[in-house]
Amino acid sequence: MTRHVVLRVLAKLLIPLIMLFALYVQFHGDYGPGGGFQAGVIFAAGIILYALIFGLEAARRSFPPRVLEALVAAGVLIYGGTGVATMLMGANFLDYNALAHEPEHGQHYGILLVELGVGITVTAVMVTLFLHFAGRRRAG
Amino acid sequence: MPAEAVHLVLFTFLAASAIAIIRLHDLFAAVMLAGIFSLLSAALFTVMDAVDVAFTEAAVGAGISTLLMLGTLALTDSQEQPEHNRRRPLALAVVCLTGAALFYGTLDMPAYGDPNAPIHHHPIIERYMETSLDEIDIPNIVTSVLASYRGYDTWGETTVIFTAAIGVMLGLGGARRRRHGPHEPGDASDVVPDEWESVGPEAGGDEGGGEDGDAEEKP
Amino acid sequence: MLLDVLGWAFLAAGSLVVLTGSLGLLRLPDFYARIHAAGMTDTLGAWLILSGLMFQCASVLVAIKLALVLAFLVLTSPLSSHALAKAAYLRGLAPWTGDPPPPRGEEGERAG
Repeated sequence: MTRHVVLRVLAKLLIPLIMLFALYVQFHGDYGPGGGFQAGVIFAAGIILYALIFGLEAARRSFPPRVLEALVAAGVLIYGGTGVATMLMGANFLDYNALAHEPEHGQHYGILLVELGVGITVTAVMVTLFLHFAGRRRAG
Repeated sequence: MPAEAVHLVLFTFLAASAIAIIRLHDLFAAVMLAGIFSLLSAALFTVMDAVDVAFTEAAVGAGISTLLMLGTLALTDSQEQPEHNRRRPLALAVVCLTGAALFYGTLDMPAYGDPNAPIHHHPIIERYMETSLDEIDIPNIVTSVLASYRGYDTWGETTVIFTAAIGVMLGLGGARRRRHGPHEPGDASDVVPDEWESVGPEAGGDEGGGEDGDAEEKP
Repeated sequence: MLLDVLGWAFLAAGSLVVLTGSLGLLRLPDFYARIHAAGMTDTLGAWLILSGLMFQCASVLVAIKLALVLAFLVLTSPLSSHALAKAAYLRGLAPWTGDPPPPRGEEGERAG
């Protein structure tokens, strides 16, 4: 008999919804409340719920700590890379007008990339913190 | 009048929960009250029409922060050590003097929501509000200020979060990698230190309730 | 006008349920009984208050969003009550039965 039947069934129903909502918040930060920080935290909450119900080993298999460490750096790299790309195109650091032929489109691309970088970093950081805290044994 | 009543109620609960956090010796209850404090702050921000901030405060303060503090509680004692209540008159005098000075300073500030406050007449405000839709073409001005006009500050915030993660990773493990004992192929064991291997949902029993036993068999 | 009255009636009923649940949270003798009280606050109170808000909102789109919030709450609040009770049970917290305590010599009893 599997243990925690109620928790497992409902978690399988809820975790995809949580992740979908996190993606919604990430990409609708332009039109309503939202953006990278909130979306990263909500996505991390979904992953942590998975870790709580299905066990730390299953969570570490699905989200390996090495990949998470890489993602922590990748988000910051995307953000900085956007700034460097605008500099390579002749404008100032993080001046999104230079990213496309029209300034408004450049702004759209710039904000999209930047919020993506923030979201990736926040998600990976929160899950890394949780896995580090939860995996330790009590001293003494 | 109802707006003031809502503000009054929320601030009263905020003060009450803050006093309760200080006075409690049971750390578990204090962590829960800290989560409630964050939730009340998020409600206050919503009442003040700052929805983005309220969203972030609810998610981070009432969600992740409470979770991480509970995780820390599993590692430490769950009762605060009682200390001898020595009277410290000098410290009390200094705190009261500083508090009185701060109160006196706030008497000079403009009223809450005053449209004639100096902050609302800075030329940069008109620059942002009027040209945001033309230049950046997205409806949410908060995001346009955060990500485009003040993108450099958000870059700094992201770097701060990154540094926090680096600090935790350095401080809490990963430095000692003992490679003794058989490991399964495909295991994350060369990243995860060995002292984690015997900690799992069944061992220790000091993690939170949801991790108490699951169907995973230990390899 | 009718929608307004209905909305206020549901909101008042929901507030009454939440108040009763909070009173139960303070006064009930046992952890499991208190979970019942808190769960009632979460589920029935949320139903009534959100239904009252749905009657009073301006457009249909807001009502649909509130209905989605309600559906999410219906899924998660019984789940959290169940998780709390299960965690307490697995840790060995025995329910309060009102019986006199067992005579000395019996080890700590697990209920059920």
